[in-house]
Amino acid sequence: MALFSRRREPADTSALGRHVIAQRLDDGDVAPAMCPVVIFNAGGHARRVSSGKINCAQGETVFCFHPGPYSVDLTPFAAAPELGLRLRFVIDAADPRVTQQRFDLFLYSEAEAGLALATLRHRFDTTLQAELAQGTLALPPCTTLDEWHVFRAGLNQLLYTRFGVTVDDCVPVDLGDQVDYADLLTERALQAAATATSVQQAPASPEAGAGEGAPPAPPDRKAGPSAGWPPAQCDARALRRLFLELPALIAAFRLVELPPGPEAFRAQQALLQRLNLMKLSVDTMPSLAWAAPDQPLAADQQARRSRNSTAAVAALDEAWALLARLQLVVPVQWAELADEAERICANLEYDLTLRRAPYEPIHEDELADAQPDAPTAGPATSNRREPSL
Amino acid sequence: MTLPATAHCLALLADGRLLTITASRRPRANRADVKCAVAGAPAICERMQEVVRLARHTEARIDSRDQVVLSMDTVPESDERDWELAAVLADRMVRGLYRHSGGAVLAHGRSDAWHLGRVQAGVPLAIEQVRHHLRDAPALVLGAGTEAAPAVDSLFISHLGGLHGHPDPSAAVASATAWFPLHSGGVNDCLGWVEVSVYPIGQGAMGPDAVDEEDTIAVPGLDLSAQLAVRRALAGARHFDGRGLGRWRTVVRFGQPRFQGASYELALVMADRLARGRECVPRGRIIATGCSSAWHAGQVDTVEGCGPKLALILKQAETGDRVLLPAAWHGQLPDGFGAALRARGASHACIERIGMI
Repeated sequence: MALFSRRREPADTSALGRHVIAQRLDDGDVAPAMCPVVIFNAGGHARRVSSGKINCAQGETVFCFHPGPYSVDLTPFAAAPELGLRLRFVIDAADPRVTQQRFDLFLYSEAEAGLALATLRHRFDTTLQAELAQGTLALPPCTTLDEWHVFRAGLNQLLYTRFGVTVDDCVPVDLGDQVDYADLLTERALQAAATATSVQQAPASPEAGAGEGAPPAPPDRKAGPSAGWPPAQCDARALRRLFLELPALIAAFRLVELPPGPEAFRAQQALLQRLNLMKLSVDTMPSLAWAAPDQPLAADQQARRSRNSTAAVAALDEAWALLARLQLVVPVQWAELADEAERICANLEYDLTLRRAPYEPIHEDELADAQPDAPTAGPATSNRREPSL
Repeated sequence: MTLPATAHCLALLADGRLLTITASRRPRANRADVKCAVAGAPAICERMQEVVRLARHTEARIDSRDQVVLSMDTVPESDERDWELAAVLADRMVRGLYRHSGGAVLAHGRSDAWHLGRVQAGVPLAIEQVRHHLRDAPALVLGAGTEAAPAVDSLFISHLGGLHGHPDPSAAVASATAWFPLHSGGVNDCLGWVEVSVYPIGQGAMGPDAVDEEDTIAVPGLDLSAQLAVRRALAGARHFDGRGLGRWRTVVRFGQPRFQGASYELALVMADRLARGRECVPRGRIIATGCSSAWHAGQVDTVEGCGPKLALILKQAETGDRVLLPAAWHGQLPDGFGAALRARGASHACIERIGMI
């Protein structure tokens, strides 16, 4: 009975479908027509209901999204800002063959208050640029028609597997009207000149005064993993993504069609076992701020843990991209993809182990030049020379 | 693609000695990712590890399965730093990120910002020394601005991406490199490179009509008729894409200024498009041959020397390289050319015109 609850302003949903893709709503808000509503219960299970007045229980999260179509301009290469791809995509109706829609999972794990079109475009850009730089998608100079078809198939599958959106159309465009590379370069030159003058005016820093022969100071290891966000927030987001997406990823890897023969089956079983162990590791991840009960962790080690969880999320993104390739694979490529899977697993395991550890481990290689009587753990270790991993 | 178990990279020390940096790869087994071993010089060890780790920040692909062990055969003086580029290259070569068909590489350069991938000039190299050692290492990679004799074929890089001819993502000058086959009768065949650097011209200073495009293109080191041909080709190709006219001041450099013919033109035009941010960036290098009678229409015409040039390209192509050939060569490709290139990780296209598809 919500008779006596305070009336809130109803949520403004007018931007949906133009520059906002999804928006979070509350109980009692009205979702506009044509916009499906996804309700996540406290356990993270999603159900889709038709639009209208929203009626949900306590502790449930409600998103409402507009299916599109949307059009965005992507920059496939950071070094070629005048070259673009115009992408038209939609968010499809629920696929009845799967229990969890990929787009719902994406909303739940990555969209916090809502999903703007610009944010999604930025994510598309980052994903596409990473794949092109690693060579898993290829868009070489003077692309031939065959290569373009292969690229399109890979891109469609990648965006469907990673974000749950369906690519409608994708054409190369000239972004020369919107971006001017000459102006970008001029801006860089002005920035470089400004930094140079500020360094000249303040020669008080020891590195600048020491002359050219001195080795430069390494970048600040205590800096956070991403500029602007505190380590605790980065870490929380990263762990949330790992916690929510790893089970879905494992389920999807289990369903991948294998080539005949025992090797592929064995490789898949080993992969699933490692992923399950990682899932266990994520589920039991120790908290960021504590080294042990009653022993708070120093801020630089917290930042280091946060960097490692962010790196683990980068490996998770690579795993989604690998899944997209596995779904399109022809049997000759299987060995290459198995090696790729092993690499991604190794990176994930490595970063999760470091995220668990309260201090960076001292390797046998580095033990030789550290003091033999140095304590291996405890609060006093923050004074000792930290071996870099 | 098989990875080498060890890789060598050479560096010249200031006193004339040759330093060999050997990198080997082994399973990591919970050890550090980079280990350095130099007998009796812990400070140099530490610096080498720092340099290699910083330079790894510029890589797209992380692999935590292997440990790379780097060692030096002689100990450099503690204030010497020009071996740093050699250490970075050895680390990349052993993991297959940088390959050279000749095997070992002689490198000379330093940096104060390895994490950004910048490479700076080392101390000037004496020409006799380089000639003496060039038999051991056919390729020479130098930090941009190093003073060296022009007679030696070498690659100048200001950025680690420059190994593959990519523009520096943070510099105010965009410069890109493309390679083209130089056919000179069998044993001396090699890949020559052409580098195009573009600087923006302020739009307010001169209107687009006030500048003649050909006047803004400088080609130091070439004779007048060759300079004119380069200017014509570039100005024509800029007419083709309709942008970039009157916006750039351009400098074109060739690895070897002594050549004949016009088959470098396609490589020149592709490097220009790459530098102006209008072309897809390949993972490796662009290797192109072709000329044109109508660059303003983007058309690519055939050139001579199909057989030996294809053989040379096949020998020199490495992972990620993109080979661009004129469309007329499509019928003349030897059997298995495409498959052999693909086995090396490269790809090719026979193109009728530049631009996408």
